[in-house]
Amino acid sequence: MLDQNAFLEKLMARAREEGLEACEAYVVEDDSFGVMSTEGEVVEYKSNLCRGLGLRGLKNGRMGYASTEAFDEEAVEQLIQGVLESAELCEDPDPEMLYDGSEPAPTLDLCDPAMGGISAQAKIDMLLAMEKTIKAYDQRIDKTAHNSLDTGRVSVRIVNSYGMDRSFTQDYCDLAGFATARDGAFVSTGFEGVVSHRYADLDPQRIGREAAQAAVDALNAKPVPSGRYRVVLSNKTMTQFMSAFCGIFSAETAQKGLSLLSGKLGQTVAAPCVTLTDDPLLPDGLASRPFDAEGVPSKAHTLVDAGVFVTFLHNLKTARKDGVTTTGNASRGGYAGNVHVSPTNLFFQPGSRSLEEILSDIGDGLVITEVEGLHAGANAVSGDFSLLSKGYAFHDGKRSQAVEQITVAGNFYEMLKNIRELASDLRFPFGGMGSPSVDVGELSVSGS
Amino acid sequence: MLDKTIAQAVLDAALSTGGDFAEIFWEDRRNNVLTLMDNRLEAVNAGRMHGAGIRVYTGLSAVYTYTNDTSREGLLRCAAQAAAAVSAQGRRVSAAPLRELILSNRHPVLLTPSKTPARQKAEVLRAANAAAREKGSEIVQVVCNYRDSEQDVCIANSEGLYATDRRTYTRLSCQVVASNGTESQVGSEGPGAMRGFELFQGHVDPAATGRKAAETAIKMLHAPVCPAGVMPVAIDNGFGGVIFHEACGHSLEATSVAFGTSEFSGKLGQQIAAPCVTAVDDGTLPNEWGSENIDDEGTPTTRLVLIENGILKNYMIDRLNGKRMGMAPTGSARRESYAFAPTSRIRNTYIAAGNDDNAEIIATMGDGLYAAKMGGGSVNPATGEFNFAVQEGYLVRDGKITTPVRGASLIGKGAEILMRIDRVGRDMTMAQGMCGSLSGSVPTNVGQPLIRVSAMTVGGRA
Repeated sequence: MLDQNAFLEKLMARAREEGLEACEAYVVEDDSFGVMSTEGEVVEYKSNLCRGLGLRGLKNGRMGYASTEAFDEEAVEQLIQGVLESAELCEDPDPEMLYDGSEPAPTLDLCDPAMGGISAQAKIDMLLAMEKTIKAYDQRIDKTAHNSLDTGRVSVRIVNSYGMDRSFTQDYCDLAGFATARDGAFVSTGFEGVVSHRYADLDPQRIGREAAQAAVDALNAKPVPSGRYRVVLSNKTMTQFMSAFCGIFSAETAQKGLSLLSGKLGQTVAAPCVTLTDDPLLPDGLASRPFDAEGVPSKAHTLVDAGVFVTFLHNLKTARKDGVTTTGNASRGGYAGNVHVSPTNLFFQPGSRSLEEILSDIGDGLVITEVEGLHAGANAVSGDFSLLSKGYAFHDGKRSQAVEQITVAGNFYEMLKNIRELASDLRFPFGGMGSPSVDVGELSVSGS
Repeated sequence: MLDKTIAQAVLDAALSTGGDFAEIFWEDRRNNVLTLMDNRLEAVNAGRMHGAGIRVYTGLSAVYTYTNDTSREGLLRCAAQAAAAVSAQGRRVSAAPLRELILSNRHPVLLTPSKTPARQKAEVLRAANAAAREKGSEIVQVVCNYRDSEQDVCIANSEGLYATDRRTYTRLSCQVVASNGTESQVGSEGPGAMRGFELFQGHVDPAATGRKAAETAIKMLHAPVCPAGVMPVAIDNGFGGVIFHEACGHSLEATSVAFGTSEFSGKLGQQIAAPCVTAVDDGTLPNEWGSENIDDEGTPTTRLVLIENGILKNYMIDRLNGKRMGMAPTGSARRESYAFAPTSRIRNTYIAAGNDDNAEIIATMGDGLYAAKMGGGSVNPATGEFNFAVQEGYLVRDGKITTPVRGASLIGKGAEILMRIDRVGRDMTMAQGMCGSLSGSVPTNVGQPLIRVSAMTVGGRA
């Protein structure tokens, strides 16, 4: 096994020898720790230090890709041969360029100096304390399983033959609680979690309480009759929707003919109350980073401004094809992946009124607090969705009955236009994406 | 492969603080991915994954550490890290001498993917793409992926097991988009097997794969939206088996059964499905997508009858949960890679062929939905609530299949749906999928003949 710099030096030298016109190494190092508990026992304890490297290189104007997790002399040859074979076969006529690193990248504070000093035992104690909070919350709490706490430090380094060599490091941690509640034969589950760059943000009491509360709230839920209902999506649910449909804002998706936003720049694609922002520099944002997967410095962009579609997200290749500048949204699914386009901290700007105020104005309808099966029941190409949903019915603005075993169906593109109002409760529940609760107007519900 | 003397030393190091069981999972994997889009080969990517994971138990709690550094020093460091997290009071044991487990390979590979030129792989994609595009001008995009993977694993544990296996996977997947300019619909197919490149010599026809995906996309583009409501649903064979996978399969994994958090915990010997239902999980089927010679703990895979004539017979059990349940492991421990601790997982899971006639099944269902092709789904094992998408559906009116409908999903609770299966046809076939759970994403087969559920909630538009 060679050390990282020695390996990179050897790799770059071999690339020159093989006549690669340009090449770039993308190195990811991950030092992580995780514990999982079920019913008061630590059932899994994981720790690792891993790294991987992806090499891409230009030969005769075509980009080839290869990756490795082994860092020996043999791996150098495998990478070079892999890139050569890949470039030779690639028929994509759109040139994929490497970035020369000419613009400086901003500095972001994504690390928590305190995190490294926290002992494994302290983390286990926190997890078990959260479990205790769950169990003690209500007599109807039955079990708590697969609760987890993870911490880690990830660093990314990009080195290329144009002389760019930049890197950044971030710390992350998450705490997740799962509760099962039982009332007679009726079983319900609840989940709550937090992800942050800072360990102090993990609050076992709050997470435990909210997971337990969610399970208890869902007890004795039942379906409502099929029909059309006025629907409000909770901030968490709207964020789930965005994670399934955000690909439509990618220029790459559009250039492949897979986004129905194609050709709609400058047009109204959403209600006037809708403004959607992608901000990779958001302080404490979970998807914040100083530069993208091509090394291009990060910048914030408004994608939808008061309902009007302003820009797609781009990397260098898609921007060149559309004759625009990159938005700095190049992404790689780890070191083994090719360069694509992804959002960072993507969120809907909040409105001014609370969820309660909005519900009381609406009167009667459904609040959806959770949807399932987005990978299957939401079609990002057509925009159609039909999703298993949970939540509660409200009557005269007040919560009336827990609801489950219904599907909510519609079309995402139509839903964006039908949005009536966004609440003030903006939240980033799972990572980079965020939303306030949203009154989406009427949707089809299949139930009893 | 992992050297036996190194393995022995690493296992001893892992047990040095009083653990009562230690295991090494060593992996070296070569992956090739080719993507064709816009009528041209867009990306070709070769990757090598390499690493090892070390697991130590004390009683019922497990520590897992993993690394890319599989040198003697790297593994010893990884073992020391695991040992440091174990604080057992018990007596210190040392690892038993390693003995190699020799098994005959049940899944022969004729054409090794890493020795097959990439050009031939590209031809497979071109054939699928061309056949899909021949379906007419409404086809606006075809995305075809070719993937192969050769995974060498070596598993050694402190009970003296030393076992190796090579798993070779090859798969073609096609996503075809049909559009009329304002609306788009997608059809997809993804046949694969535990085989080498011979998959495309008599087992899978790339052109037929592209064509089938294109036909679904076009059919759905012209289909009205599925109505919502509760109705009888007939689900066809092959990928239709995803209903059993989601409605029941996951809830029979020891991962949730062992803690009493599955709706089927403590129900062995009880009737959990209609008497016409017999379901099997089989890791031994030659060359099937979800098969292996040994599981990821080194236990030989088995054929396991999960449900026989409606009675729950077996759970899928890994070593650690088996200990917790006081039951023997069933060769069901799986993991995506060395970066995951193993747990009990589905392999090839299917509803076995029954006695009913397909024509009769439809003719006697009155008004309902016929799901010809299913999409993916998911389940909450604690409550049994499942959901899945219908990729290609048809309305049934008065016992006759009529209009195609799009955008349908099926939801329910596993325990209820299993009791409501009232017909099981004879033509069982299987289809391939990737299944995600605690130990990552693993290849699994789903399967069934045509079955009918007397009443299900169909998600559509009211």
